[in-house]
Amino acid sequence: MLEAAFRGGGRYWALLGFWGLLVALGLGAWGRQFTEGLTVTGMSQDVTWGIYIAQFTFLVGVAASAVMVVLPYYLHNYKVFGRMVILGEGLAIAAVLMCMLFIFVDMGQPTRVANVLLHPTPNSMMFWDMVALGGYLVLNLLIGAVTFDAERREAPPPHWIKPIIVLSIPWAVSIHTVTAFLYSGLEARAFWMTAILAPRFLASAFASGPSLLILLALILRRFTRFDPGEEAIRKLALIVTYAMTVNIFFVGVELFTALYSDMPHHTYPFRYLYLGLHGHDSLVPWMWFGAALTVVCVTLLLVPRTRNDLRLLPFLCAGVILAIWIEKGVGLVITGFVPNPLGRITDYAPTGVEVAVTLGVYGFGFLVLSLLYKIVVNVRERMIPA
Amino acid sequence: MKGPRYAMVVDTRTCVGCAACVIGCKAENDTPDGYSRDWIHSLVAGEFPRLRMTIESRRCNHCEKAPCVSVCPTGASHVGPGGTVQVDPEKCSGCKACIAACPYGARYVDPRSGAVDKCTFCWHRLEAGKTTTSCQEICPTQSIVFGDLNDPESEVSRLLKTRKWYVLQPDAGTAPKHFYLE
Repeated sequence: MLEAAFRGGGRYWALLGFWGLLVALGLGAWGRQFTEGLTVTGMSQDVTWGIYIAQFTFLVGVAASAVMVVLPYYLHNYKVFGRMVILGEGLAIAAVLMCMLFIFVDMGQPTRVANVLLHPTPNSMMFWDMVALGGYLVLNLLIGAVTFDAERREAPPPHWIKPIIVLSIPWAVSIHTVTAFLYSGLEARAFWMTAILAPRFLASAFASGPSLLILLALILRRFTRFDPGEEAIRKLALIVTYAMTVNIFFVGVELFTALYSDMPHHTYPFRYLYLGLHGHDSLVPWMWFGAALTVVCVTLLLVPRTRNDLRLLPFLCAGVILAIWIEKGVGLVITGFVPNPLGRITDYAPTGVEVAVTLGVYGFGFLVLSLLYKIVVNVRERMIPA
Repeated sequence: MKGPRYAMVVDTRTCVGCAACVIGCKAENDTPDGYSRDWIHSLVAGEFPRLRMTIESRRCNHCEKAPCVSVCPTGASHVGPGGTVQVDPEKCSGCKACIAACPYGARYVDPRSGAVDKCTFCWHRLEAGKTTTSCQEICPTQSIVFGDLNDPESEVSRLLKTRKWYVLQPDAGTAPKHFYLE
């Protein structure tokens, strides 16, 4: 079954080659970061988490969103997602691996990463995040392998896997909740210290993850004989619509609480994001672009005629992914450090090294995803009567 | 609580903001270029020519309820002897969770080791039998006083009993052990 990952046409190898190239680029840049230290990044004494931790946050959401296909299929016996579930689990595996790598490359002393396990500290959210992500990776690998193997043999999956699948549902929610707790439990950072951060994370995750899944499903439909099903794609688009609408509501609730109460520490970060603070306005164009994109995409998703148009849908999905990426991957992490607890404003922009390492991690994730999907497609194509 | 409970008291009325404490710390603790374990914060209020200025010599507050210790995933950040907050550089993975958690901006990643660094209350000096920190020793106006809160006869205890004082960000609930005299 696994050997299928290494048999393919020219186009498949070109794709793998492209991801490999990104990985090589990232490794080279990380080598420099490892020898010279974090000074080669744009991070500073004031802004100590940058593009790496931001990507980590975005991708935990993508990983958690697999639950949006797993839950309807296994808990509600929603058969339409039958061919979509394995794609969701594959995406979760690739996303969790990228999350772990993003934490790793952000460390000042990566050779001591094992200390998190050698000296476990249950009072630390970082420790629990590692436990949650590791557990989620194992769960998805196990569930994916067992159910897919059964399907390949055209047999029902073994009974013992069912409780493990059920366990993976709250576990998916937990990984993004713990990630939110990493931020929202810090009294030093008013921007993050809000009870709605975890619900917001989940809402935006359930919009961005299924959007990515739709794009991947459409790509597979276009280039292979495997079709995850048009109804499944439409249902996912509906999930994206609901999640994105809820996300807008949550952001609105957040904005109201901060701006109406007008407490300086709670309003400054939002002013920095949308208006600029004391002339520091590097994120302002990003945020307004993201807001406009959100409004356009949600409007078109809410209208059934445009949502169900499969030629328009990929653009809407790409728009949703980009909007959430701006929200979590650009705005959220950096702004937690602005202004810093001493009232100082320090701008942050990633350096070339950081961008290269980031591309490398994404390259690795998509390399893994390509290999996993190749195995799935290969087996599924063989099952289709010619 | 048995044993010493170390604290620092800084007199904002006598401090002239000369930054000798910053230089003294840098020389004593060999902090990396561009980073410092202590710094001068000055707040100017009013309009020229009617001005007033508050100068604070700042560093790690060695909080009683230290958020940096709670969030550390490896136990590198810990409450050390005498209630001080210390970082074990051999354990630290440089994840920077403690930097995000610190309401005082007291921590940084040392680019040479990749580990987080901050004020130790000159613990190496105390271990060697000295009773002062380097910033205290170098201060030309004797504005920095270090000592044991559990000793009612200590200079820090006496100052806190007789002078009006404040701590930074009391709302953060960290119970800092770094006091400023008004």
